[in-house]
Amino acid sequence: MTRFEKSCYFETSIRMHIPDNFLSTPVWATLDALSIPAVGLMVKRAGRELEDTSIPLLGVMGAFVFAAQMINFPVGIGTSGHLVGGALLAFTLGAAPATIVMTAIIAIQAFVFQDGGVLALGANIFNMAAAGVLAGYLPFWMWGARHRKPAIFAGAFLSVMVSASLALGELLISGVAMPRPLVLVSMALFAISGLIEAAITISVMQALEKLNPELVQRPDSTNWRALAVLSGVAVALGAAGFLWASSAPDGIQRLGLQLGLAAKTGFHAPFPDYTAFTFDSAWLRRATAGLAGLLLVYAVCVAVGKMIGRQRSA
Amino acid sequence: MHHVLMDQWSQGASPLHKRDPRAKILALAAFLIVLATTAPNAFLTLVIDAVVLVAGILIAGLPLASLLLRAMAVLPFSLTFGLISWLAGDQLRALGLVEKSYLSTVAVLLVVGTTPLPLLLSGLEALGTPRLLVLVAQFLYRYLFVVSEQAQHIRLAAACRQGIERRRRSGFRAAAGALAVLFARSYYRAEGIHRAMTARAFSGKFALLRRLQFGWADGMFTLAIAAFLILVRIQ
Repeated sequence: MTRFEKSCYFETSIRMHIPDNFLSTPVWATLDALSIPAVGLMVKRAGRELEDTSIPLLGVMGAFVFAAQMINFPVGIGTSGHLVGGALLAFTLGAAPATIVMTAIIAIQAFVFQDGGVLALGANIFNMAAAGVLAGYLPFWMWGARHRKPAIFAGAFLSVMVSASLALGELLISGVAMPRPLVLVSMALFAISGLIEAAITISVMQALEKLNPELVQRPDSTNWRALAVLSGVAVALGAAGFLWASSAPDGIQRLGLQLGLAAKTGFHAPFPDYTAFTFDSAWLRRATAGLAGLLLVYAVCVAVGKMIGRQRSA
Repeated sequence: MHHVLMDQWSQGASPLHKRDPRAKILALAAFLIVLATTAPNAFLTLVIDAVVLVAGILIAGLPLASLLLRAMAVLPFSLTFGLISWLAGDQLRALGLVEKSYLSTVAVLLVVGTTPLPLLLSGLEALGTPRLLVLVAQFLYRYLFVVSEQAQHIRLAAACRQGIERRRRSGFRAAAGALAVLFARSYYRAEGIHRAMTARAFSGKFALLRRLQFGWADGMFTLAIAAFLILVRIQ
């Protein structure tokens, strides 16, 4: 018991998930509304792809990613890094199953270990499980057959960079004031941890291939157009977050302010009857407007998911 | 140990423990959303929210000090960002980051501490979370400690053989090998689990010993909490 206690996940790792109340309401709510259909799409896709055997497999591999944080990789100057895992899962299980495993991990971390918020679940899932995994899978999918090593390296690096840039961008849009030097320093740190993740992933992949080549996916075994498009979008979003955050933090704050103002004023027109209510509070009005906006985002996502599904079956 | 402690907490028999998991999840969502939209300097509202939480902890019979201490896990993160915001001249946000993230964490701990995780996940499934995702999370939680223990053994063995901390180059490769072995063992373990479960007629769904029942009391509980919090928020 005591031996195990020392090695517990929550004592050895750095908390890097966004807690509740760090993101402004429009930001977390939009990301929640985006993540629900995104994960739903991945579950459908994985359900078609996987056999029955895979349900325990996905769960146990999730446990593996947790446990992998105990194995430290020496990276010099007395520090050590550990595996994040999104890219490795994508290369071994496939993109859709990897997304599901990462989603389950993030949910368990939020509920059981208080690492990351519950309202911010959507944001964390979007950053790490959806965008991170897909961005990591893109190079592997495109060049994995011919340039295997660079593709694995680039994928692991991208997966960390994209999730970190998105998280940083979301915090800045939410108006968390960060001085410019701090933003640049954290960018540099993200790049370093991306490189560490890439080095770890590539050496683990090589060791795995020696152990049993069947554990590693063939890059061309999946041929899913929508996946490529989504991965491209994920990389683009990550790049946008990176550029925004590194170039104009003040500009982002202004944009956040403008978005907030738009949410306050722009939605008055569709709900003119509000003055009739006894609760004539700006809060209620804004909440309703926000809810309407969310429903819209959700509806669009579901519709896009349906369209992709139909295209696929046709 | 943290999660084992939580498992013990969640086995109680208080009125809060007895509520349907869906009722608690919905009440938690109401609490978190109301809290997220509360201004950081609306101290009366925040104090009432805190009182609601403490009352919940006492009714559930959970150890107050120990739970409040657990929730401090979020503080390093939020204090750092709070300090940055404070130095950047945004005192209100700094205050909000710290106090609201702490209250949210206490609320989540209260719900997790009164609901065993399998029940909580079943509640999430009943509220529309895809079955595959819930099953994966159930398996993940079940084998978390098993695989962690194995990682511990592998780490110890690798350290015994060549001293991970000593030489950087070979240390990195040794760690990669250890991780690959852990990966392969987890993979084969999953295959074994699947065979064993198939042999015991696993139908693709976990059976609960107690069927979920959303009764009148559960509905009233959720409605009362949500209505009270919203009224306090609007005032």
